[in-house]
Amino acid sequence: MKKENQKKKTRPNLFLTIMGDEKRQNISIPLFAILLSLIAGAILMLILGKNPIDAYVSLLQGCGLLPKANYAGGKNMFTDFMSFLDIWTPMIFASLSVAVAYKTGLFNIGVSGQMLLGGFIASITVGYSDLPAYVAKPLVLVISMAVGALVGALIGILKYRFNINEVVSAIMLNYIFQYMLSFFILTFFVNPITRQSETVGENARMTLQNVQIGELKTVVPLGFVIALVIVVITHYFLKYTRTGFEFKAVGANKKAAVYAGINDRKNIMLSMSLSGALAGLAGATYYMGYLGSIQPKTLPSTGFDAIAVCLLGNSNPIGILAASFLISIITKGGTYMNSAIGVPQEISSLITGLMLVFAACGAYIRVRLYRAREKRRTMEENEQLTVKQEGKEKEGAVK
Amino acid sequence: MDEYIVEMRHITKRFPGIVANDDISIGIKKGEIFALLGENGAGKSTLMSILFGMYEPDEGEVYIRGEKVEHFSPNHATELNIGMVHQHFKLVSNYTITENIILGMEPKRRLGGLLPVVDVKNADKKIADLSRKYGLEVDPTQKIENLNVSMQQRVEILKMLYREAEILIFDEPTAVLTPQEVEFLLDIIREMRKMGKTIILITHKLEEIKQVAERCAILCQGKLTAVCDVAQTSTKQMASLMVGRDVSFEVEKKPPRFGKEVLQVEHLVVKNADGFPVVNDVSFGVRSGEIFAIAGVAGNGQVEIADAVAGMVQCAEGKITLADADITHASTRARIEKGLAYIPEDRQSSGLILDFSLGDNLLLKRYYQEPYCEKGILQRDAFEKKSRELIEQFDIRSGQGEKTTVRSMSGGNQQKAIVAREIELNTPCIIFVQPTRGLDIGAIEHIHEQILKERDKGKAILLISLELDEIMKLADTIGIIYNGQLLKIAAAETLTTNEVGQYMMGVKAE
Amino acid sequence: MTDIIVNGMSFALPLFIIAVGGIFSERSGVTNLALEGFLGAGAFIGALFVVLTSGLFPATSQLPMYLALLFSMIGGALYAILHAVLCIKFKANQVISGVVVNILAAALTDFLTSQINAGVFGQSSDKFVLTVSSRVTFAHLSKIPVIGGFFTNVYPFEFIIIVIALIAAYVMYGSRFGLRLRACGDNPYAVDAAGCNVGRLQFAAVLISGGLSGLGGMCFAYSVYGNYSSSIYSGYGYLAIAAMIFGNWKIPSTLGACLLFGFARAVGYWLVQRLGLPGTYSDLIMILPYALTLLLLALFSKNNRSPRALGEIYDKGKR
Repeated sequence: MKKENQKKKTRPNLFLTIMGDEKRQNISIPLFAILLSLIAGAILMLILGKNPIDAYVSLLQGCGLLPKANYAGGKNMFTDFMSFLDIWTPMIFASLSVAVAYKTGLFNIGVSGQMLLGGFIASITVGYSDLPAYVAKPLVLVISMAVGALVGALIGILKYRFNINEVVSAIMLNYIFQYMLSFFILTFFVNPITRQSETVGENARMTLQNVQIGELKTVVPLGFVIALVIVVITHYFLKYTRTGFEFKAVGANKKAAVYAGINDRKNIMLSMSLSGALAGLAGATYYMGYLGSIQPKTLPSTGFDAIAVCLLGNSNPIGILAASFLISIITKGGTYMNSAIGVPQEISSLITGLMLVFAACGAYIRVRLYRAREKRRTMEENEQLTVKQEGKEKEGAVK
Repeated sequence: MDEYIVEMRHITKRFPGIVANDDISIGIKKGEIFALLGENGAGKSTLMSILFGMYEPDEGEVYIRGEKVEHFSPNHATELNIGMVHQHFKLVSNYTITENIILGMEPKRRLGGLLPVVDVKNADKKIADLSRKYGLEVDPTQKIENLNVSMQQRVEILKMLYREAEILIFDEPTAVLTPQEVEFLLDIIREMRKMGKTIILITHKLEEIKQVAERCAILCQGKLTAVCDVAQTSTKQMASLMVGRDVSFEVEKKPPRFGKEVLQVEHLVVKNADGFPVVNDVSFGVRSGEIFAIAGVAGNGQVEIADAVAGMVQCAEGKITLADADITHASTRARIEKGLAYIPEDRQSSGLILDFSLGDNLLLKRYYQEPYCEKGILQRDAFEKKSRELIEQFDIRSGQGEKTTVRSMSGGNQQKAIVAREIELNTPCIIFVQPTRGLDIGAIEHIHEQILKERDKGKAILLISLELDEIMKLADTIGIIYNGQLLKIAAAETLTTNEVGQYMMGVKAE
Repeated sequence: MTDIIVNGMSFALPLFIIAVGGIFSERSGVTNLALEGFLGAGAFIGALFVVLTSGLFPATSQLPMYLALLFSMIGGALYAILHAVLCIKFKANQVISGVVVNILAAALTDFLTSQINAGVFGQSSDKFVLTVSSRVTFAHLSKIPVIGGFFTNVYPFEFIIIVIALIAAYVMYGSRFGLRLRACGDNPYAVDAAGCNVGRLQFAAVLISGGLSGLGGMCFAYSVYGNYSSSIYSGYGYLAIAAMIFGNWKIPSTLGACLLFGFARAVGYWLVQRLGLPGTYSDLIMILPYALTLLLLALFSKNNRSPRALGEIYDKGKR
């Protein structure tokens, strides 16, 4: 009986210590989710008869983070890393987009649609023009941001004027854009060989192609530098500005925010527009940088992976930088993992999906930890009480 | 042994930070009305929740009809014929009275001799009979959302009777009722005793105990201080046993010094989502140095008046003037800046952002002003300095000072934080809605002192409360609301509690 | 005209049964954005059953289809456990859980489809090939002018859906279970006080929601697509949610909303054919149901009342 009690007491305690206090849980719970899903992925690979360690190493190799056994001409770890940056960039923007909305209590699941529309409008206005590069490139950013912001604002209006859940309206818009753009691309802008939209001109491309550095030929994603700057700005914005404070207040408790005189509608609109603008940037760096063209009838998976990133990164810009790094490795490295070891590529999105599920369990872990701690506190207090009482009784007995 | 139908022996129950029940033993006889008296937080509700099976005691035993209770659950309590009317009613708003009562033990009939369906019609009849038997006067086919509080309470009582409860626990049943409705309820309780039921009444109101109860257990800070025979104990004695010291029922209140009118509300109409006017043509004014209290039964539109003045809901018609400026259509923030502070009814959902730090909450209405914000950038040092000042000045207790997450603070300290923030705004007009709900007596006294202090400073104070005692104690002027209309406005000293109660029921009109 | 009715009904009814699933979950107080994932996972299990047993039945037999419908319900319900556990047991944010469940469903079924195709059938393919279900025409009834269309070229699953919807309506509005379930969506504490287990009721509701969605997904696979692939995730789950909101969380009016979506789509296709437009114009028609949904929601959702306790995390300890 007593032994059992002790067991019960020590086991949660170890877990408690590892998970730490509320501040540390912001990091420890996502790490826990990542660990669990990597283990789950490893088990799946074992079932498929593959060596999980080789697989995970090949993920890193595919992203230029570990050296491969051999390289084709003009390629090495550095060029791999550069093309990893190329795909990491839109992921950062997309995740920041989800995060800004999420901080305001909104769920922007329409990032994919906003990316697509932003990329498309920028393509047909600037991408097929012969403006000089120093005009075209900034213009691409401005146009895609503006388009994204407009879509975000539309979702915001539908939310507060017409009481439509932003998830439903964003999904509807996703499909509307997907089919509408498919129609336009296939009717007007299609490349008959690739069945994609015509590749945009080098002048408007956000990623420099075939840059010669010594022996090497590499891509140079210009957007990556911008992405890093935007991460810092977003972090600062959410933490130290008046508007950031208002966003968080509306997100944490809309009723109380309104009561304190904060204009919830203005903030919802502003937040959705900013979120849309960031999604537009993601679209610009994805379609005008990484890909160079648009595949009809397809929504970029980046917009959905961004949700995983945001959940794992606790919608904190710095956390997002780390989490998007991880998710990008899993998605980008998946191709190489498939060709090098023959582990099916679909396992990447499966691992991401599992991370999402485990991250969603975070609330539960938090509550359980809180309760366990409260319980421990009560138990300790009880012990103190009994000790005191026993002491008193003893005193009484002595007297 | 057999003389008690309920016996609780040496009950101890602890929660984090407090011992709610400390070695309490009581016995209740069959067919008596037994009162449980104590302040908020004295442990009455916890003790009865144990009897009703919602909590398991840490130590001690419970015997029902001489048999020891082995496991604690509300279902088991119901099987033992124990029923409880909770302080917050547990009713499904879009269901009829019958549907609510039969929920969980629905009678069935067979549709076409085959499909089992819930037999509502038959149940309607049975409940109508039951209602007549105890004089409850309800129509079983009405929907809960159309009923007033007193009616809803009767539905809760019928629920217990339908389940053939023999031991009935009432948790603060009169807190939300008018004096006349209280009379009606006490009659029902007497009627039930006549039918042989055992009744346990949790309350902190002494007069009610005097009226109906035979015996009374008094709890103070988790301990049983006395079990007394009501007929032979004076109210005064009971009160001092309850508080643990001698109490004076009067507060020190200086004579008022009214100034000019600060807040004026003229012909205000507020409509709900269905377009129904919940506040209908209400006019009143509050002068500086005056406490204007609105009395009324919950849900008669008083909270909507406060929300309309503060700009949380739109006013459909009418005009609101604050310090000579028309604020009828001003934004919430403009009203605050014009000079309006507001302590809302629900502190956790409107008054505070629970996941924000105490410091951020203390500056929730100031964060955008200098020196806390310059050119759109928050000045964290200024935040820190000001919130430390307020924490000191208003004695707000928390684990980690201004960095504490408000969620982890106690209810009393949360309310202190709101009051601190609003008073610090130093506005000519302050609205208090239910400022002492759920607080213990020390905290209540503290808040009352604050309200009077602000009044004596020359503030115009609009007080909205469901506690008639509180209104009678503090108000200079009383307005009584019924069905969205102010039936009467008069100086407090010209009204008796009973009169106010009659207006609250809409019985008496000019 | 007949074409429009045939196409309209065959799209509206599967959508309707998915929406009924949504109603079950949301009336019990659990927000359900996971219908999309449920219908995909359910259809996957159903289709998997068909391809695994394809040798056992004669080629013309309709039996596999009926069994597939059954298995899709089981599969949908099983997958729904995930959403139920996350929302009810783990008390996760229900909106997040719904989206997460959808994303995982797509990833998981994609992975399994290609693995099973490679492992069992030795071919690399990302779809399970099914046939398009055969259709029934009632010789006499179909000759009635105008409404004859309702009896022409009917998919057998349409009858199954109607029967199941009737049963669902009975369970929801007639049975004890339904009374308790709907009470959960308004005030779970009242249901708890009445001695019922709120968690279990909600769990059951989410499972039913999964089963019905799975059935709807399978019907789409047998009609719109003729196979099972990741294209099953084309937002019909979200359309069903819109229909449910539009139908004010009531079964009869939701049927009306689904019929409206179905017929709008059918009219669109009919127009493309009539006007002889090139194939790419069908993409524009595909927009119709989504655009119509947005428009209708914008017009009507302001007056609609969702269940009072919808999305609220039920915590028994709280009072």
